[in-house]
Amino acid sequence: MKKLSKLHSRTAWRFISPTLIVLAAVVAFPLLFSFVVSFFRYTFITPKFDVFAGFDNYLFSFKDQYFWNSFKVTLIFVALVVPLEFLVGYGIALLLSRDIKFKTVFYFILTMPMVMSPVAVGLIWKMLLHPDLGIVNYLLQKMGFGYVNWFGDPRWALLAIVLIDIWQQVSFMILILLAGLTSLSKEPFESAKIDGAGPLQTLLYITTPMMLPVITVALLMRVIIAFKTYDLVYIITSGGPGVSTDIISYYIYRTTFMGLDLSQASAISFLLFVLTMAIVVVLFHQITKEKRR
Amino acid sequence: MKRSTKSAAVARVALLALAALSLALAGCAKGGGSKKATELNLLMEDVPETHIIAKLLPEFEKATGIKVNFEIVQYGDMHSKLITQFMSAQSKYDVIEVDNYWAGEFPAANWLYPLTDYLKKDKFDTSVYVPQMLDMVGYYPVNAPKRALYMLPMYNYTMALIYRTDLLNDAGLQKKYKEKFNAELKVPETLEDYVRICSFMQQNTKVAGSAMQAGRGDPVVMEWTNYLFGLGGEYYDENWASRINDERSLKAVQLYRDNLVHGAPKGAASYNLDDSLRVMSAGDAFSMITYNWMLAQLEDPAKSKVVGKVAIAPMPGAQSLAGGWGWGIAKNTPYKDDAWRFIKWVESFDVAKRRALDGGAPTRSDVLRDADVLAKYPYYALVEQILTKSKPVPEFQFSAQMVESVGRELSLIMAENKDPKTALDLAASDLAELAKKAGLSK
Repeated sequence: MKKLSKLHSRTAWRFISPTLIVLAAVVAFPLLFSFVVSFFRYTFITPKFDVFAGFDNYLFSFKDQYFWNSFKVTLIFVALVVPLEFLVGYGIALLLSRDIKFKTVFYFILTMPMVMSPVAVGLIWKMLLHPDLGIVNYLLQKMGFGYVNWFGDPRWALLAIVLIDIWQQVSFMILILLAGLTSLSKEPFESAKIDGAGPLQTLLYITTPMMLPVITVALLMRVIIAFKTYDLVYIITSGGPGVSTDIISYYIYRTTFMGLDLSQASAISFLLFVLTMAIVVVLFHQITKEKRR
Repeated sequence: MKRSTKSAAVARVALLALAALSLALAGCAKGGGSKKATELNLLMEDVPETHIIAKLLPEFEKATGIKVNFEIVQYGDMHSKLITQFMSAQSKYDVIEVDNYWAGEFPAANWLYPLTDYLKKDKFDTSVYVPQMLDMVGYYPVNAPKRALYMLPMYNYTMALIYRTDLLNDAGLQKKYKEKFNAELKVPETLEDYVRICSFMQQNTKVAGSAMQAGRGDPVVMEWTNYLFGLGGEYYDENWASRINDERSLKAVQLYRDNLVHGAPKGAASYNLDDSLRVMSAGDAFSMITYNWMLAQLEDPAKSKVVGKVAIAPMPGAQSLAGGWGWGIAKNTPYKDDAWRFIKWVESFDVAKRRALDGGAPTRSDVLRDADVLAKYPYYALVEQILTKSKPVPEFQFSAQMVESVGRELSLIMAENKDPKTALDLAASDLAELAKKAGLSK
């Protein structure tokens, strides 16, 4: 029996080994390489491991005021886009989960932004919100609202990026939450209806608790993706005006390709990795606390 | 025991195979010889010059049997795409289009193949180029006694003033300007005049004074550097000590900020060159400090509402910012000979002239002075003068990082998030650090 189990185990390893080799080559090796690089002075100009830097690259980031600014901007960005996308996405998913006409048309329209490349989205919205030639400002002024300097005023620029991100990424929330809603068992809802529960009570005490695992996955995935947001800022504002939209992924990009400093960029990437993991763990713990009780 | 011997033998064979593969790859990458190409790949910026050259490619392909592929992208994507190819065993791109920002970085990093031997072998005459262009996107290190030619100039984007003649010559506006300032309304010769005229136009017409490009990073740096050079300022002195926070720089910031507040469209703090061109070609601005080749775009009826109403003039003040692109050969391409064949063809007098006639921005003096070219674009005589009077940003390993630091601080000033002195002091400290890192100063 023991021999048979050993044979099975060996066969399993044989089947899984090609996948493990590919994963090691494309995931583990780059991760390990960048971790090692973060402790050296390895630049594109001198790509050598001959100067050991210890924790200098990490400490340098902590001393840089613009690193802390990027850190702050990123946290604000994530704190705004994830809850807002969840609220909007959950609302639309609830509407779509009901028996309504033209459901397929709604699906098609709502998933369109998600399949567009962020670069295309950035360029489209850059023109729509163009402060002087854009249709949005034209309409706002026609309706009697004032002129909004969407990308030229530090008070508006981050909000504009947040709104564009919500426009594009809310489809992701809708699809995941809708998939969860359609797979819920019908019985609890029927019982609640017989017991006289209203729509709000059903939502708060039946739908949402039952959806908790799906909501957890959706929120965690969005947090991870939101921390990596880069394209919109790159295309629309380049981190400006000033440093008002300078999110950390763009900061890392500049350190890599303008500063040519792969070690410094790797160190910041690992800091971002640790931060994201910490937030994901805390969020996961908080969301599933109720269930564990 | 037998099993472990077998494993060891397998491991030895695998290691030998790996070593052989590595040697073969290394041979491909570093081999001095050149292979025969059937295709050449180029990463090109999405600007008019690229499309002008693309139309001529069939001639080269017919003559040589080599297919030329242009991968056309936005400027912002080029640097990172090129670097990743330079760092790999073999570059996907054979001929390299090099911006003058990178003209110090690429040769310093040993990513370009020197053109010296090819020039000698084919007796290619480099004296036909405007000398400033050859210094900017040709030699490295510039002004060093032992310098090598890594690039041939491709096209120039030296900056100048483009203005609306209909507004400048308007009798009513001229009278009003005379009454207000007791001076003639004419092409400005100083920066102060220019800023004053822009403000005047903004107040007395329906258009903005200047379609500025004050977006963070490269746009604001390019435009502001004209103000700095116009006032005789510098990034570094001759010993690579940073001068970006001296009196002239502060004055340049003050004038630039004045113009942004009183003479520019409201959203100009986020504009790049495309935004400025859109505003100018829509007829919504009196002027723009921009690349000289923009004039051909503004004279194109398919793209512009101000055809026949625009003219070019030198940047008000001492000097303007020189800019340009060069052709280089990737050190890690196996197709160096054919890459040179392409450069030789595209930079021949005949092709360079046809590019110019189609609206290109020449770097060769013989093309700029050609009778046919001057008949179509009479202002090229003035452009040549502008080219010889302009100068580029300092070119060294960290020019891109230098532009990034200055661009960030200028954007902070323009957004009123930082006072000019504090911001320029920080930029100066960054610039000093970069010069030190490059080994140019102690």
